[in-house]
Amino acid sequence: MSDANTTDHTDTTDATDTTDHTDTTDHTDTTDATDTTAETAHASSDAARSPVLSTAGLTKTYENHSVFEGVDIDIAAGAMTAVIGPNGTGKTTLLKTLLGHIEPTAGSVSYNGPDVDRPMGYLPQEPAFRPQFTAAETIDFYASLVDSAVDTDALLAEVNLSDARDRRVAALSGGMRRLLAVAQAVVGDPPVVCCDEPASGLDPSMAQRVFGSLAGRADDGMAVIVTSHTLSLVETYADHVVILHDGGVAATGSPVGLCERFDAADLWDVYATVVEPTAADASPAPSADSGGES
Amino acid sequence: MNALAMGRALLGRELHTAARTRSYYLLGLAIGGILLGLTLGGGGAATGYIPTVVDLLLPLELLVPVVAIAIGYRAIPSDLDRGELAMLDTYAVSPATYVGAVYLGRAVVLSAIIGGALLIVGLLVALTAAPDTGVFATHSGVDSPILFGRFLVVTLLFGYTLLAVVLAASVGVATTRTAIVGAIGAVVVVAVGGEAAILLGVLDGIFGETTLTAVLGLVPNSAYRGLVFETVVGVLSASASGYASPVVSVGGLFLWTVGSLGLTVGLLRWRSG
Repeated sequence: MSDANTTDHTDTTDATDTTDHTDTTDHTDTTDATDTTAETAHASSDAARSPVLSTAGLTKTYENHSVFEGVDIDIAAGAMTAVIGPNGTGKTTLLKTLLGHIEPTAGSVSYNGPDVDRPMGYLPQEPAFRPQFTAAETIDFYASLVDSAVDTDALLAEVNLSDARDRRVAALSGGMRRLLAVAQAVVGDPPVVCCDEPASGLDPSMAQRVFGSLAGRADDGMAVIVTSHTLSLVETYADHVVILHDGGVAATGSPVGLCERFDAADLWDVYATVVEPTAADASPAPSADSGGES
Repeated sequence: MNALAMGRALLGRELHTAARTRSYYLLGLAIGGILLGLTLGGGGAATGYIPTVVDLLLPLELLVPVVAIAIGYRAIPSDLDRGELAMLDTYAVSPATYVGAVYLGRAVVLSAIIGGALLIVGLLVALTAAPDTGVFATHSGVDSPILFGRFLVVTLLFGYTLLAVVLAASVGVATTRTAIVGAIGAVVVVAVGGEAAILLGVLDGIFGETTLTAVLGLVPNSAYRGLVFETVVGVLSASASGYASPVVSVGGLFLWTVGSLGLTVGLLRWRSG
């Protein structure tokens, strides 16, 4: 998180990290030392990446209800970080806190990325746009808010909306609007993009395309943070997984690293073990998918 | 990107939205039709501009708030509900820039609807009224298109003030659905409540003749009426002036506008966390 931290993570045993990362900057980490297992996995996963976003002791409480407490995570540039967990564990709140849309009760969020006019992009959980605009006009409008040149047609093609470029937002399906919101989130190539359930409401192939597109952005150096309930997509595309449970980070690491650590067949197994240990013991994993996003 | 360039982009978005909103065209037609009907029905058109102003003053005190509510109540709550404000926040759009652009955009719509309708009424008077209404510059005592132009400007100022009040009220409530209630409530409280307070003040002897002239300028409806009497109707007869202070009335409308926009920005900051 800060340059003062001299912890040098040399563990490179994580076999899951297949992304080509050429950045050899030492990972500076202040994650809660009590979670040493998670910390090791985290460190090994991100050994070659510099954190563009870090949280320290992040806590959010609403009146007497604690959403999460003491969350320490580093978000690496050039990687997709997936935040998963049961409903109500604060995934959306965490994203909004990272974005600065919600004030944390305690703790801090540090942005360590380049000084640009749009440091973070955002895809809300239920995105919508002015219905009077066409898809292309919508992207053109958001592009007019950044200094860098934006190729609207290329962005629409990236999310498979080329054929709908001149269609009004009112005439787009819910899934198409979400795709449009994905395009909006990366307008201006922000160093960090936060996507709240980007595959929600999309058919399987389109959901895969969205995750693939975001993973491609991560490969290009963007720090992509997604919340998701679609564990199969997370397992396929995410470089790093943060499991939120019981008001904090229950486990963190690369998908394969987590599977190894929990001796699990897949991410669903890990999820079930971490979130519902009794359920995991009692029944086999139904599938790699927890049932779609909600 | 600087705030001016962002404001321009946001203003363009508002105008683009308005240009493609069919209900605004229908609202414009309805307002135009009502004002034309009142002008023709009241007989003012054949007599001159001032009689037309007198015919339209009271209806406009009702119609201008209706237009302000219709074009203003959803503007910001819709963006909040859609999550667009959260997205805009990532582009470093400040609440002040956003509110300013939304207000200006909606003010252009209000100008087109109210101003357009009054221009048509003015044209009708020009075509049908007595010959001496064609005088453009003279001492007091002669009806003139200039006076009608003043009436149009003062009416738009009144509308801009109410639009700002509507925006503030709409952000103060939770959702788009309740924004209409908040907007109507705010306009009723400001217009009716303000005048009722003045009336009670007069009855209780709190306001004397001198203070009343000033106090009337602090309530939007009274300020509007006072400005019309002082700068349009009163020009015909010196004895008809002294109803209100034009300076206080303009100042009152300005304070309501700036205060409401400031409140809107503050509420938006608060709602955005």
